[in-house]
Amino acid sequence: MSSDVRFTDFKSDKQPTWCPGCGDFGTMNGMMKALAETGNDPDNTFVVAGIGCSGKIGTYMHSYALHGVHGRALPVGTGVKMARPDIEVMVAGGDGDGYSIGAGHFVHAVRRNVDMSYIVMDNRIYGLTKGQASPTSRSDFETSTTPEGPKQPPVNPLALALASGASFIAQSFASDALRHQEIVQQAIEHDGFGFVNVFSPCVTFNDVDTYDYFRDNLVDLEEAGHDPSDYEAAKEVILDSDKEYQGVMYQDENSVPYHEQHGVTEDMSEIPDGAPEDAMDLVREFY
Amino acid sequence: MAEDLNWAIGGEAGDGIDSTGKIFAQALSRAGRHVYTSKDFASRIRGGYTAYKIRTSVDDIQSVVDRLDVLVALTQRTIDENLDELHEGSAIIYDGERSWEAEIPDEMTAVDVPLKSLAEDAGGAIMRNVVALGAACAIANFDVEYLDEALEKRFGGKGSKIVENNKKAARLGEEYVEENYDLDHLGYDLETTDNDYVLLNGNEAIGMGALAAGCRFYAGYPITPATTIMEYLTGRIEEYGGHVVQAEDELSAINMALGGARAGARSMTATSGAGIDLMTETFGLVATSETPMVICDVQRSGPSTGMPTKQEQGDLNMALYGGHGEVPRFVVAPTSITECFWKTIEAFNLAEKYQTPVFLVSDLAMSVTEQTFPPEAFDMDAVEIDRGKLVDDDTIDEWLDEQGRFRAHAVTDDGVSPRAIPGTTDGAHMSTGLEHDELGRRTEAQDERVRQVDKRYRKVETAQEREDWEYREFGNPDADDLVISWGSNEGALVEALGYLEEEGTDIRVISVPYIFPRPDLTDEVEAADDVIVVECNATGQFADLIEHDTLTRVKRINKYTGVRFKADELAEEITDQLAAEVPAK
Ligand SMILES: Cc1ncc(C[n+]2csc(CCOP(=O)(O)OP(=O)(O)O)c2C)c(N)n1
Ligand code: SF4
Repeated sequence: MSSDVRFTDFKSDKQPTWCPGCGDFGTMNGMMKALAETGNDPDNTFVVAGIGCSGKIGTYMHSYALHGVHGRALPVGTGVKMARPDIEVMVAGGDGDGYSIGAGHFVHAVRRNVDMSYIVMDNRIYGLTKGQASPTSRSDFETSTTPEGPKQPPVNPLALALASGASFIAQSFASDALRHQEIVQQAIEHDGFGFVNVFSPCVTFNDVDTYDYFRDNLVDLEEAGHDPSDYEAAKEVILDSDKEYQGVMYQDENSVPYHEQHGVTEDMSEIPDGAPEDAMDLVREFY
Repeated sequence: MAEDLNWAIGGEAGDGIDSTGKIFAQALSRAGRHVYTSKDFASRIRGGYTAYKIRTSVDDIQSVVDRLDVLVALTQRTIDENLDELHEGSAIIYDGERSWEAEIPDEMTAVDVPLKSLAEDAGGAIMRNVVALGAACAIANFDVEYLDEALEKRFGGKGSKIVENNKKAARLGEEYVEENYDLDHLGYDLETTDNDYVLLNGNEAIGMGALAAGCRFYAGYPITPATTIMEYLTGRIEEYGGHVVQAEDELSAINMALGGARAGARSMTATSGAGIDLMTETFGLVATSETPMVICDVQRSGPSTGMPTKQEQGDLNMALYGGHGEVPRFVVAPTSITECFWKTIEAFNLAEKYQTPVFLVSDLAMSVTEQTFPPEAFDMDAVEIDRGKLVDDDTIDEWLDEQGRFRAHAVTDDGVSPRAIPGTTDGAHMSTGLEHDELGRRTEAQDERVRQVDKRYRKVETAQEREDWEYREFGNPDADDLVISWGSNEGALVEALGYLEEEGTDIRVISVPYIFPRPDLTDEVEAADDVIVVECNATGQFADLIEHDTLTRVKRINKYTGVRFKADELAEEITDQLAAEVPAK
């Protein structure tokens, strides 16, 4: 790990194919800066990405990375971190990827409290498949597959995380660059599962949840004097559907990450050349 | 008659049938006798008939037969279910004091033992099964002392008092039978030897193989009959710095194992039936990202939830063809419990040497059968580890392009690319299920697509040349007729040879542990008059492959009742097939 890592070291030489103005640009910049700022470098970082416009992020970043199948990025990240507690693991995806097809994995990744960060680019729409309703779409949001709106309330990912026993819950806005970077940084530094839902506007398919909308409606929790260690206060902001918040909603100061609870500390990539020395004991067990 | 003994205990699920059977099996093994066990169980936890059967001999035995000599019946159903296998010389131990009145056919020997009262005398009714074991020892002329070690093993953790009580319970059972019955006419007299044996089942052998092979990360989701692999590894893998995660589902399990493997750990998942279907989604990703990992499928009766506790070998086509698109893979299928151990080690080596998913295909019969072996059958000194083209800080340079980027999917002559695990300096790279170039970057360029598809398949070609895709052979190599089998049928087939020989029938048996790539059997098939393929499925999936490879029609013996082949039954079927008309070549 070198101390002179710049955030551009985390950039790959692939040009993003995102639409000009897509929120994912800002989201990614903040992620790269946060990784560099927290002392990581591409050779000790593993980024796992889901499927969707958001999931392409792994392609545009430079590190050890895996771009997997739709909705299953969290289990991959979990596996990487189990095998290599020494590696920084960041998982990224979209709202469809994380809260629809991957919703089951989300709940379990949260409750396992594996020490990794999970960044969800929430544009409240399916971007890559060209504009269908996502689990976070408003109930009256008209899309190609829901001409009259989904007519179901949106998933509240923060509440889902809270109910699943999350130790770190935050929300940021791709275009508020500094705050977004700070929040991701805190998620990385958190001892456990650092979950950040990022408002990352889709300029092509979502004309409701726009930059202007978030700029006008966003309340910054830090400015509002919110105390993230106060569970009751966290519950209140997380369940408040009248406002949009950014900042760390909740952080469990006593969080014990999975690997500490389970004593998973070794680099599992190292194995002996033949069977382990005392392996005959394994056989003798069956006497 | 004196040599072989077929013993069983049966009752309701939840009656402690399994652990009682296991204690007796261990005692026999300690006495230097070979043991082969099988289980009848229904897919429920409480209630429902269940039985643990033991066949024991001083000779090596590898299958079950249709005979029961001593039966401990805790319920009438135990007797009814086994009527076919009981014979005139059979002894049936039951508790006449219990509320059911045992209906035992006249010609058999009813041995009424007050199991519950004697257990209470020894310290608690819960030990009635152990009293029955003592009674069984008396009938079989087997020294009750051999039970002691097994009882210590089973109850040692609960304190010496419990162990002593159990030993007493066994002796009370033995004494009761000796005092109240004269059973010498049955002629059972179990010989003992000084041989040391270990007793284990196929799933334990797979788990042990995984540990020996350096598997350090296992993610799985419980499903019969694969779960015991996970149970074996849990609590043991930690000793070697590893970890087991019970995932939320199979989709997660295989993706976790994928993450572990990409991080450099030898990683594995195991499942069965419906679980394999769920894993299929990620299967192509494992192959396309060229991730070395082992996926174990312990087959059971399908399709859908089918018969979860019954034997079948119906997943062969799934292992060969499952997944969308065209996916290079290896499919390895152990043919015995020792092979479960060795082939698991080989599966890990193949996975890392060729950076592919390896399907390790076992089956229910092998997974629940416990069998005795000399410990040297699992000689750990013979274990070799090959991690393939793993590069490190010093060797990575030759794989960097002009701009210093790591060519993780470099197109090479043998199709195998270098592999850098996280932490390797300059090794940072992207892996993806999308088609990609040498650097792992997405591409849809036609020539690049073709280069990468060819490269991935070239690994299989290379492996086909370099590895030894041997088969196992039994019987008379010069016999006119050839029987081919895969998976756990080998044991029954090998024993069937003895029965056939008695009838004057000579056959050559080939048992194939590799499904893909697999040995070319064209010469062997062409040299034979009759070729019969034996397997536990309805459609003859392996027979189809043999016909495809050799352009020769083969005869088939298919069993899909949910019950494994028995040696005597198989001998009869082979005789029938040999007499049947030869299908057109
Ligand atoms: C198993 C599977 N089902 C469906 C798809 C098609 N698909 C690709 S991206 C996507 C939705 C992505 O939405 P979201 O996660 O919100 O990401 P965005 O594109 O909006 O960033 C879907 C349904 C797929 N790739 N795999
Ligand atoms: S479709 Fe939407 S989410 Fe996708 S790149 Fe364009 S703006 Fe971004």
